[in-house]
Amino acid sequence: MKQETVNLKALGVPEEELFSLVTHSDVESEKITAPRYSYWQSVFRVFFKKKINLIVLGLLAVIILFAFVYPMLIEYDRFANLTDATAKHLTPTAAMAKFGSSIHWILGAGASGEPTFDAVWVGSKISISLALTCALINMTIGILLGAVWGFSKKVDVIMMEVYNIVANVPYILLISVLVMILSASFWTMVFALTVTGWIGVAYFIRTQVIIIRDREYNLASRCLGTPITRIALRNILPFMTSVIVTLAATEIPSYISYEVFLAYIGIGLSDMSLGKLISEAQSAMVTTGWQFEFWSPVVVASTVAVVLYVVGQNLGDASDPRTHM
Amino acid sequence: MAKYLIKRLLRGLASIVVVVAIVMVLIYSLLDRQGIFAADTTYTKLNNNAKTMYMYRQWQKYGYLDFITYADFLNGLVKSGELTAEERDSMGIGRTASDDSPEVAALVERFTQEYESQGFKVVRLKAVVAKRKLATGGQQQLFATRDRPLIDRLIKHFTGIITVDNIHYVPEDRDIGERGLTFTTHDPVYGGEQFAPAIMGNGTKHKYLLYFDHQFPFIHQNLVNVNLGLSYSIDTGVDVLQIMNVTQGSYVLSPTVFPTGLKESSADDLHSATYMADTRQSSKVLEERFTDDYTGVVTLKGGKSKMGYSFSIGILATCLAYLLGVPLGIIMARHKDGLVDKIGTFYIVFIIAVPSLSYIFLFKAIGGSFGLPTTFDVNSSNALMYLLPIISLALPSIANLMKWLRRYMVDQMNSDYVKFARSGGLSENEIFFKHILKNAAIPIIHGIPGAVLFSMTGALITERVYVVPGVGDLLTRAINAHDNGVIVGVTMFYALLSVVSIILGDILMSMVDPRISFSNESR
Repeated sequence: MKQETVNLKALGVPEEELFSLVTHSDVESEKITAPRYSYWQSVFRVFFKKKINLIVLGLLAVIILFAFVYPMLIEYDRFANLTDATAKHLTPTAAMAKFGSSIHWILGAGASGEPTFDAVWVGSKISISLALTCALINMTIGILLGAVWGFSKKVDVIMMEVYNIVANVPYILLISVLVMILSASFWTMVFALTVTGWIGVAYFIRTQVIIIRDREYNLASRCLGTPITRIALRNILPFMTSVIVTLAATEIPSYISYEVFLAYIGIGLSDMSLGKLISEAQSAMVTTGWQFEFWSPVVVASTVAVVLYVVGQNLGDASDPRTHM
Repeated sequence: MAKYLIKRLLRGLASIVVVVAIVMVLIYSLLDRQGIFAADTTYTKLNNNAKTMYMYRQWQKYGYLDFITYADFLNGLVKSGELTAEERDSMGIGRTASDDSPEVAALVERFTQEYESQGFKVVRLKAVVAKRKLATGGQQQLFATRDRPLIDRLIKHFTGIITVDNIHYVPEDRDIGERGLTFTTHDPVYGGEQFAPAIMGNGTKHKYLLYFDHQFPFIHQNLVNVNLGLSYSIDTGVDVLQIMNVTQGSYVLSPTVFPTGLKESSADDLHSATYMADTRQSSKVLEERFTDDYTGVVTLKGGKSKMGYSFSIGILATCLAYLLGVPLGIIMARHKDGLVDKIGTFYIVFIIAVPSLSYIFLFKAIGGSFGLPTTFDVNSSNALMYLLPIISLALPSIANLMKWLRRYMVDQMNSDYVKFARSGGLSENEIFFKHILKNAAIPIIHGIPGAVLFSMTGALITERVYVVPGVGDLLTRAINAHDNGVIVGVTMFYALLSVVSIILGDILMSMVDPRISFSNESR
């Protein structure tokens, strides 16, 4: 009898789908205890297994150090060189030739003769704080309300209408109205970005909850008489950890981007921020020497966003228990 | 199905009403009214009571309040025959209330009572006297004012959206000859020789209510008009829809025969003539050309309208995004963790992380170094100038499509039906395109109507960076100029688009996926 051999590789079947041989061991078969398992320990074990995460976290530490500690060590006065016409829009070499080689001038000088390097970090502090605060508030309110929204069908009917309405009020209008009423301070901005911002998060969470809510294991749990709060906290929340972390990873950069956008259309913060730096440098594009003014805040904003995004994505992957095997 | 959709549409329309109400509260009640005078040179020149009167007049114009002066009241009395014109002139109020003659005091009392009963507040400003003489703008004033209630404003807005032109549009006391509609088979715009049917009106707002021309769709009407709200400062007196749709650029001249018989090469579109009271006598130019007061004509220009530019760029960018984003998303999912997937992920991260303003400038710089035009010119026929705005607009949409399609496909790959199909002996390609893609594409298809409809609204940053004269910055400009009519109109238009696009998306989705049904309420 001719034996037919099938080349599985040619069929394109992935390796993990195939059977593999397991040898029998008497010692192993005697063990009945499950390995010790701690959720968060496993999350960090998986997270730090990827070497890129260490590099990215290091980069994040450097940025945070510069954004939050460096501005405390220097005296930043934006208009110190305002009257000096030769101090404006300088390239790094020109600035260092004029003011002497120090760390302040390695990125040149800006529109009012201020050191770009200092301005970037002072701005980063505000922008990063804004992004983190807004993300924290929106995520907390959004997740809590989204969970309720997803669970209760009565709430769903009302909230869908609320969502239809709130999502249709142009946020530019809302933000400019609030900025005009309250002044363009940091906390006004936080308020303006969170007063309706949570509803997007809540809507996203609601959809996720609805998907998981009626799964068989939850139905079984409910049949056994588990209270709703326990189902929410023990059955659904762990399932959603990775979704929430991934959401946070995209939310935080989006606030930095938002802030830049708002500054560009003229309703941004009154304090120095990355967005303000970028939009001011953008209007100076016709004068020579604008490149460093424009690109350095862009690079910092992008790096912060990329770093937070990568950390968030990988943490999201690691927080999925299915990767812990 | 139809019943369900109508119900959805009605609920959507109800939410639009609420959105408009919220926006009205925001702009009329919460925003500082004083803001409209920030860039007003007339305001800074005025003094004393004249300044106050000017402020109230402007507020009335911008729709904040109702405002009636004592002079208006007297004119009303003259019209109703209670006073003669000579009597009116002697009824002016005194510098202070105690200077009024008994007759005037009685009238003032009547004015006060009449308007206070309607909820108005009556204000009397004493004359401002400096060195016994009247100061500049110090004339004494008496007026009644009332903030327009939200409900009134809402009703007025929504009843004014659709207007049907009628022969009583021109005020009845004006002598414009016989009012009525006439039907002609030979449109005078074409010299009256060519066969071109038209319905013309006298007493209506538009002179031509129905006419034919050689532009798509060949038959046009002015009978039923849609008004979203009048502009006060951006484009004074023009409706939001017209601001979006009127052509721009340089004039297109064509031989035109004016009603007086004057032949001239002109850009005037005589079919658009609207009634403008007392304009013909006031201008020699108009008198030579028109035989009546239907002199408000739109001029034809060579470029597209604001919405035309935004839509042509937007729709091409949307097509490009779907043409590139969908295949790339499929390839990324097909070769998960492969090289293409890694490059694609890097691109997606780049677009998410980098502020949109900066990557648009980056693409502008890159495109400029290849010699592509980086600024838009309405009068140029160079098609290349569309290229960079389209690419800038498409790149984020491509990233978004790739991200979600890959996500949905990867999620489907672990489903039981895929394993079943594989165990049934289907090839990986068959599984991928016949099973996974069909299921993964459903949420993507849901977004198509929205993407198409919202390409009409333009993109703010892209249009500003490339100097495209589109609709993208209409809302921000209106907010900065306190142009409340435009704000309300634009918001309502956007809200309508979003309601319609979600419903269309649902319909499309249920057409593609027979499992999705809206007829069953308890789904």
